[in-house]
Amino acid sequence: MGQIMGSFNARNVDLYMDDKPTFEPQEGFNFERKQREMIAKEEDLISARIPPKFRDYCAHYLLDYQVCRYNKMPMLYKCAHEKHAYLNCEHDDYVLRMKEFERERRLRVRENKIVGVAA
Amino acid sequence: MAFNLVKRALLYDTKAVRNAAAIYYNTARNHWNYQYKPDPYPKTPQERAAAAKKYGLTVEEYQPYPEDMGYGDYPKLPDIGTDSKDPNYPYDLPDLKRNFNEPIHASAEIYGEDRYDPSGRPRFSLTHQWTWFLGAIFGSFGLYFWLDNYKFGRPVTIKQYPKDGPHYMFCEK
Repeated sequence: MGQIMGSFNARNVDLYMDDKPTFEPQEGFNFERKQREMIAKEEDLISARIPPKFRDYCAHYLLDYQVCRYNKMPMLYKCAHEKHAYLNCEHDDYVLRMKEFERERRLRVRENKIVGVAA
Repeated sequence: MAFNLVKRALLYDTKAVRNAAAIYYNTARNHWNYQYKPDPYPKTPQERAAAAKKYGLTVEEYQPYPEDMGYGDYPKLPDIGTDSKDPNYPYDLPDLKRNFNEPIHASAEIYGEDRYDPSGRPRFSLTHQWTWFLGAIFGSFGLYFWLDNYKFGRPVTIKQYPKDGPHYMFCEK
């Protein structure tokens, strides 16, 4: 219920799934946020024929996994650790997106409050 | 079929030869399709009487189909579904609820027990059926259009790709 209502009530501030964050990334933090870094190189991804859809911040794990699959074929169970590492990374990526959503929602609610007080 | 019957008759029956000859004669000489074909439409009273006699009906109950329907002298029998016939009557052929030599309806295929029964009483009235059918269809449409304004997804922002960068973690540098 919580995960559904989390996005359902976000409509009150006109926020929906897969929206782009609109606030300044550093706004409201008393420290400097760490920037996400892309570890896999674009040439390697192209060379490994990883589809653009999968060229996200976890692509280096995917690359490891695919290389392992190539080397260990057909003993694919030997790539369990690589696969697990990749899926863990994707999970963390998703959690980060959820955090961004919640941050966006709270900032919009806060902004509405400030505007209401001013008016 | 005929060969099997003859073989069985010859093997098991004491009057084997006579029965085999009878079966063979019957199958070979009396079951040609042209013999099932009705005669031309009866015009005179004599022809009507002859046709009624042929189909085992009285002259009063004999009634041919209109001539332009092409059924010839075949009798127009009452439309009674097999399902509506008395199940307790001792028929000669209980599976078909039919007696020996009883004339067969021209549309007998559709009036079988497993098919259509024109005098059968449906479980639900036609109004009832239409109400539920249209109710389900338009009810679904109504729900769809109403709930169209209440769509919600998962609470995530757009997927982060390096080309859209820069993106930030929620921890200190």
